[in-house]
Amino acid sequence: MIKIERRDETSNLIYFLTPVLAIFLTLVAGAIIFYLLGFKPLEALKFFFITPISDLYGLSELLVKATPLCLIAIGLSFCFKSNNWNIGAEGQLTFGGIVGGGVALLFYNHEGFYVLPLIILAGAIGGMIFAMIPAILKIYFNTNEILVSLMLVYVSKLLLDYLVVGPWSNPEGFNFPETRQFSDTARLPILFEGLRIHAGIFIALVSVFLAWVVLFKTYLGFQIKVSGLSLKTAKYAGFKGKTMILLVFMVSGACAGLAGVGEITGPIGQLHRMISPEYGFTAIIVAFLGRLNPIGIVFASLIVALTYLGAETAQIFLQVPKYTGQVFQGMILFFLLASDFLLFFRIKFLRFKKYEY
Amino acid sequence: MNTKLKVSKISKIYPGCIANDNVSLNFESGKIYALLGENGAGKSTLVKILSGVINPDKGQIFLNDKLLKLTSPKDAKNNNIGMVFQHFNLFETLSVFENLSIDSEKNNYQLRILVNNILKKYNFKIDLDVPILNLSAGQKQKVEIVRCLIRNPKVLIMDEPTSVLTEQETEDLFLSLKKFSREGILIIYITHKLKEVLSLCDEVAVMRKGKVVSISRTVDEELSSLANKMIGESLNKIKKMTSHNLSGEQILSVSRLNFNSEDPYEVNLVDINFTLNKGECLGIAGISGNGQNELFQILSGETLSNNGSIKFRSKEISKLNPKERREYLMAFSPEDRISQAAVPSLKIYENVALNNFKTSNFFEKGLFNERKIKDHSKKILSNFSVNTDNVNLKSQFLSGGNLQKLILGRELITSPELLICFNPTWGLDVGAINYIHQTLVKINEQGKSIILISTDNDELLQLSDRISVINKGKLSKIMSAEEVNPEKLGLLMGGGLVD
Repeated sequence: MIKIERRDETSNLIYFLTPVLAIFLTLVAGAIIFYLLGFKPLEALKFFFITPISDLYGLSELLVKATPLCLIAIGLSFCFKSNNWNIGAEGQLTFGGIVGGGVALLFYNHEGFYVLPLIILAGAIGGMIFAMIPAILKIYFNTNEILVSLMLVYVSKLLLDYLVVGPWSNPEGFNFPETRQFSDTARLPILFEGLRIHAGIFIALVSVFLAWVVLFKTYLGFQIKVSGLSLKTAKYAGFKGKTMILLVFMVSGACAGLAGVGEITGPIGQLHRMISPEYGFTAIIVAFLGRLNPIGIVFASLIVALTYLGAETAQIFLQVPKYTGQVFQGMILFFLLASDFLLFFRIKFLRFKKYEY
Repeated sequence: MNTKLKVSKISKIYPGCIANDNVSLNFESGKIYALLGENGAGKSTLVKILSGVINPDKGQIFLNDKLLKLTSPKDAKNNNIGMVFQHFNLFETLSVFENLSIDSEKNNYQLRILVNNILKKYNFKIDLDVPILNLSAGQKQKVEIVRCLIRNPKVLIMDEPTSVLTEQETEDLFLSLKKFSREGILIIYITHKLKEVLSLCDEVAVMRKGKVVSISRTVDEELSSLANKMIGESLNKIKKMTSHNLSGEQILSVSRLNFNSEDPYEVNLVDINFTLNKGECLGIAGISGNGQNELFQILSGETLSNNGSIKFRSKEISKLNPKERREYLMAFSPEDRISQAAVPSLKIYENVALNNFKTSNFFEKGLFNERKIKDHSKKILSNFSVNTDNVNLKSQFLSGGNLQKLILGRELITSPELLICFNPTWGLDVGAINYIHQTLVKINEQGKSIILISTDNDELLQLSDRISVINKGKLSKIMSAEEVNPEKLGLLMGGGLVD
C-alpha cells in the first residue's frame, strides 16, 4: 500500500533540486518522443541541446535569447511572489516595444547620445503603464488579473499590427508590414564584431542584481514575501495591499517593456509584426523554473533559451517543426509542477495493514 | 413507522481534550430533539459521529435496535440518516437540479418528478434550473433539505441551521421541521440559541465539556434554567481584584459603529457603542460567530469602519490601517495565531519584523536591518519566557503556547496603551494559559488597557473589570464584573434580554 504524507518541513536542497529533476525528466520524455518519431533519441537530443551552443555564434545567440527571458521573468517574480498573477507580460513587452519604437521613429536620423536612453526609458514606461491597467482594475473593481492581463496581450499585438501596416509603415518599404530601420544612434551597441550579442545583457544583469537587493534586503521585499505567504497576515500587519499590487505590476511591466525595447533596438532594429517569439509567455516558465529567485532565474533563462535554439537546429537537421521547442518548454513546466508535489509530500510504501475500528 | 435512534456510551478523545465523554442519548420519532451547548461542548463531534464523518473511540449507535457501523458519510446516507450542515455543500455555479442529481442514483426524469412532488408537498418555492449562486441563504438550505428528503430519511440532523437565516426564513424552517416531525421523521436540532429550543423542540439534551449534563422536556424548562445548565455553575470562580487605580481617563471610545458585510457568512455589526478607560479590561463575551471576528477586525483596522466611529485618546482613527494604529500605541493579538498573527514558514525574527514601528528602526531607509531585528527578537524571547533562544527557528516549530507568548511579546514589548486580544488562550495548556493570564493582569496593573474578546467565560470573569455580551452583531449593555452571574451571561449569549 502506498501512503502519501505531508512533509513537516521542505528542505532547501529539495527545493532547488526539483527543477533539476524536472529538466532531467523533460530530457527523458523528449528522448521518448524523438524515438517514437523515428529518430535516434540521443542523437536528436544532441542536435537539440548540444549542437546549438557548440560554437561562439551559438553561445552569443543563447545570450541574445536569454536576455529578454531573464528580464521579463525577474519582473514576473515580483508579481508571482506576492500572489499577483500577471500573465500578460507578452502584451507589456509589445506595448513597451511600440512606445520605444515610436520614440525611435520620432528621432529618426537624429544624432545625439541621449536618443538611445530616451528610447529605453520610453519602452520601460510603456510596459509599466500597460501593466497598470490590470492592476488598477483589480484594485478598484476586483477583476481577475489573469484574464485582464492575458486579454490585453491581444490588444497590444493588434495595435502593433495596425501601426506597422498603417501609419508607421516604411514609406520606402513597398508596403511590407514594417517600419523604417532605426538609425544607428537608436541601436543598442553590439558587444563583439560579427556576433549579435548586444548591450541589453547589461540591463538584464543590473535588473537581476537590483531584484535580489529589493527582494531580500528591503522592507518592500519583506512585504512582498509576507503577502505571498499569507494575505491574512499582510492585512493584519497593515501592509498597504493596494499600493503593493500596483507596484509589483509596475515593476513587472517595466521589465517586460525593457525586454521589448531591447529586442527592437538590439537584434531587430525596427518594428514589425513578430518582435517577440512569445518571450512574455515563456518567461512565466522561466520564473517558476528559477524558483522566483533572481539567481535561479538567470540559470533558468539560459536553459529555456536553449530550447528556442534547439528547435531551430532540430528544424534544420531533423526536419521537425520548430514548435518542438514549445513542446519542450511545456514539458519543463509540466514536470516542474509535478515534481513540486515532492516538496510538500513524501511517498511511503507500507505493508498492507488491516484497520480495526 | 416508528424510528428509534440510540446513542450508547460514545466517547471521542482528541489530544488534550475529551470531545465526547460517555455520551448516551435516546431519540424517538415524532419528537424534535434539541442538542444544546456552548462552543466546544461536544455537539459537533457527536453530530459528526452520527453522520459517519468521524469514528468514535468507544460506544455504539443503534437504529431501531440494530447496531450501526458508520465508517463514512455514505454509511449514514444508506441508513437513512440525513444531515444539513451549517455551511452548505453546494456547487454554486451548477443549477439546483444539477446539484440534486449529483449524488442521486435515479435517472433525471424520475428525479425531477420526485423533486417536484417534494417541493409541492412542503410548499417550497425554488426554481430547479437557476444556478445556486442566485439563491438566498434560506433557499440554499431548502435545497440541502430537499437533497435529504429525496432519500426518505428516518433521521434528519440539522446543525445550527439558523445562523445564516433571516427571521422570516427561520420561521419557515420551523414550520417545515414540525411538518417533517409529524410525518414520522426523527429530528435532531443542534443549537446554542435558547429561544429556538423552547419554541421548536420537545426535548432538550444539554452538553457541557463533552458530557450530557441534563435531559429534560422543554415544557419543564425556561430560558433562565436552560442558560444555567448551558453555562454551568463553574462561573463563580476567582475574580480579578478590581483594586488597581482606575483613573477614569478615557482611552478609546466607539460610537455608532455599524458594519454591513456583503459576505453572507459574516455578521453585520449594529450600532456598537462603548468606552474604555485607562488601566481597564473590558471583556466581550458571546458564542462564537456572533460578530467577534468582525469587531476585532474593525478595532484593529483590517476592516475600516464608518467615519467618526472609533476615537483613540479623542483622535479619530477609524480610517487608519493596523500599522498606522500601532503608531498610536495600539497592539493586536488575533484569534488565528497560527496563520494570521504569524506566518509558520517564516523565521522567528521575520515574524517579529511584522510589527514594524517607525521608532523600532527595523528597516533603516527601507533596508532590512537584520541585526537590530534579531536583537529585538532575542529580547522578546527571554522577556516573555519563550522556550527557545534561536531567532532563526521557523515559527511553525513553536508549540501553541510558545507561539502565543512570542506574539504577545511582540505586541507588548513596545509598551502599548491598549491591547486588543481575541481568544488569546484557545487550545493552550494550563501552564501557558496561566502565564498569559498573569501577563494580561500585569499590563492592566501598569495602567494599560485591554479589550478581551473571548468565548471562554471563566477567562472573562477572571480578567475583566466590565463585561458585555455580543449577540448577532449587537452589544449588550456593559455590566461590571461583579454583577454578572451565569444566568445573566447565559441569557444574553443565547439572545435573551436582562433588565
